Amino acid sequence: MADLEARGIPTVGVATVEFIQGAEAQAKSLGTDPALVFVPHPVQDRTDEELQQLADDHFDAIVKLLVE
Amino acid sequence: MTVLLDPTSERTPTRRPRLARPQKLDGLTVGILDIAKARGDVFLKRLGERLGERGIAFRHYAKPTNTRPAPIALSQQIATEVDVVIEGLSD
Amino acid sequence: MTDLPSDGLVAVVKRDCPTCELTAPVLAELAKRGKLTVFTQDDPTFPETIPDRVDDTRLDVSHSLRIEVVPTLIRRSGGAEADRTYGWDRAEWERVAGIAGLGAGLPQQRPGCGAKNIEPGIIERLKIRFNETGLRSRRIEIGGDEDEYEAMVGRGWSDGLPLVPPTEERVLKMLDGTSRDPQQVIGIVPPELAPATVEKIAINAVMAGCKPEMLPVVIAAVEAVLDEKFAMHGVLATTMFVGPVVVVNGPIRRQIGMNAKGNALGQGNRANGSIGRALQLVIRNIGGGRPQEVDRATLGNPGKWTYCFAEDEEGSSWEPLSVEKGIAPGKSAVTVFAGFGLQGVVDQKSRTPESLARSFAESLKVLFNVKSAPSADALIVISPEHHRTFREAGWTKARLYEELYRLTEIPGEDLARGAKGIDEGGSPDRAGTMVPKFRPGGLMLVRAGGDAGMFSGIIGGWSSSGPRGSTPVTREVKL
Repeated sequence: MADLEARGIPTVGVATVEFIQGAEAQAKSLGTDPALVFVPHPVQDRTDEELQQLADDHFDAIVKLLVE
Repeated sequence: MTVLLDPTSERTPTRRPRLARPQKLDGLTVGILDIAKARGDVFLKRLGERLGERGIAFRHYAKPTNTRPAPIALSQQIATEVDVVIEGLSD
Repeated sequence: MTDLPSDGLVAVVKRDCPTCELTAPVLAELAKRGKLTVFTQDDPTFPETIPDRVDDTRLDVSHSLRIEVVPTLIRRSGGAEADRTYGWDRAEWERVAGIAGLGAGLPQQRPGCGAKNIEPGIIERLKIRFNETGLRSRRIEIGGDEDEYEAMVGRGWSDGLPLVPPTEERVLKMLDGTSRDPQQVIGIVPPELAPATVEKIAINAVMAGCKPEMLPVVIAAVEAVLDEKFAMHGVLATTMFVGPVVVVNGPIRRQIGMNAKGNALGQGNRANGSIGRALQLVIRNIGGGRPQEVDRATLGNPGKWTYCFAEDEEGSSWEPLSVEKGIAPGKSAVTVFAGFGLQGVVDQKSRTPESLARSFAESLKVLFNVKSAPSADALIVISPEHHRTFREAGWTKARLYEELYRLTEIPGEDLARGAKGIDEGGSPDRAGTMVPKFRPGGLMLVRAGGDAGMFSGIIGGWSSSGPRGSTPVTREVKL
């Protein structure tokens, strides 16, 4: 994400809630303030329908972080 | 760990401010970058469909492997082809 | 401090000190007669005469006790220091210890040696460890995973080239280059109108690659550009080409190894390069002035990376630029000029000052545009070979200035809009008059360059010159 932002491309990252602390630690160490949306864990064992639902549930939140 | 002294006027927070976002997505192209963790592709495909329903242009990209940063050529390609990016799905 | 006794004697020594070796038997005597704690700064096996000596190779105790000379003998009483002496002096040691008849067979006195904790490099590290640096700037922690060079660029601190990481140690050493208080405010930097303290300037000077002895010149340049008359905000924000150009005069040039000779306006000299760069970094980082933001320059010019050189004063028949600007001869000073680029003046045939002056004048007349007058200020850099022509003819600077102002007057009809088939230009009402290309005082002359080469240069200025825009400013360099 930091690389694309350094290239001038505003970016939103999507991660599961497991990532919250790791993302904060990385942001602190890099001095960045990344735009992130967190989805419930787990992801690996979900069905296609469940994943599509997850995408629908978080679509608005993601788009919101892509615009001012 | 290295400690450096801040050369600036210190009027901005130590975190670099987020890159400015566009006012709206209409007329822009959204890049969707799959970081190649299992099942993320299904999630991201659906995001693309939703953008499409809204009439917003989008393009899918994928890292060749999750274990390393995106190759430079891919980053360059994305940076020249789209205006904003959704990157996921980290799990 | 847990190691110090509340009552008794304390001694600080190091093996690498003949006087400490000399007093080793005296310490043994004192240890037999009462409580004595001995701290060793370098070699924990010294002195052999004291079996329970304390290892202070970390120098924490020495630093806390403010030891400057070894050996130092301290008497403590009731948890505080009552008395101390340093070096070896029998009478002093007997007084502090309260014991007569010490050091039989030793000379009366012997001077001590410099303590290890105040050696250069070590004192900075100790001050940092004890948080006594007096540095007030915010600390930025760069994690072990992050490349510190990328981190600095990523935070927007860079002019595009790599920076020297401004660690506390480097900044402390840089501040040794000036006697000024680090918190002294040199000026207010546009566009954010943030204060440039000596400390903040030092941080940017470290990043630029300056040595501590160069800091006073950077500070003088910052002070000069922040003078209202220089109009720094305008110079920064303009769509035109200019950035601050720094000319250095006086003994400081030699002291810090500046280049006034071959390739003086080019690359290769650390002082020239880093001083100009430090000034630009101050504008960027303290003031917040950055390209395509408040800095709207269409093209800019390469001098905005760095543009700083020394005048070639030695052997010149002209007074240095600083003296022309009112600084006493022999003093070090900087003059800042809002300028850009370098227009070359090639004249390898003129044998007379009149002819050479005309070469310069014709070149000056095309500054900005042949149709533009009055245009901007100009800084003329005259090479030693060209200067020789004027010197041998006995032309003072004043004489040459007079000639140049006169020769750069242009007939008003030649400047009218549409004249010469060029739409650019001025009012046709000026026809029949002679229009000066430059405002009075708009030209400056300095000598610089290698001894061979009949090539001089013109550094163009800003369209808003003079009292309504930017005027060159000269400031003395204060160490």
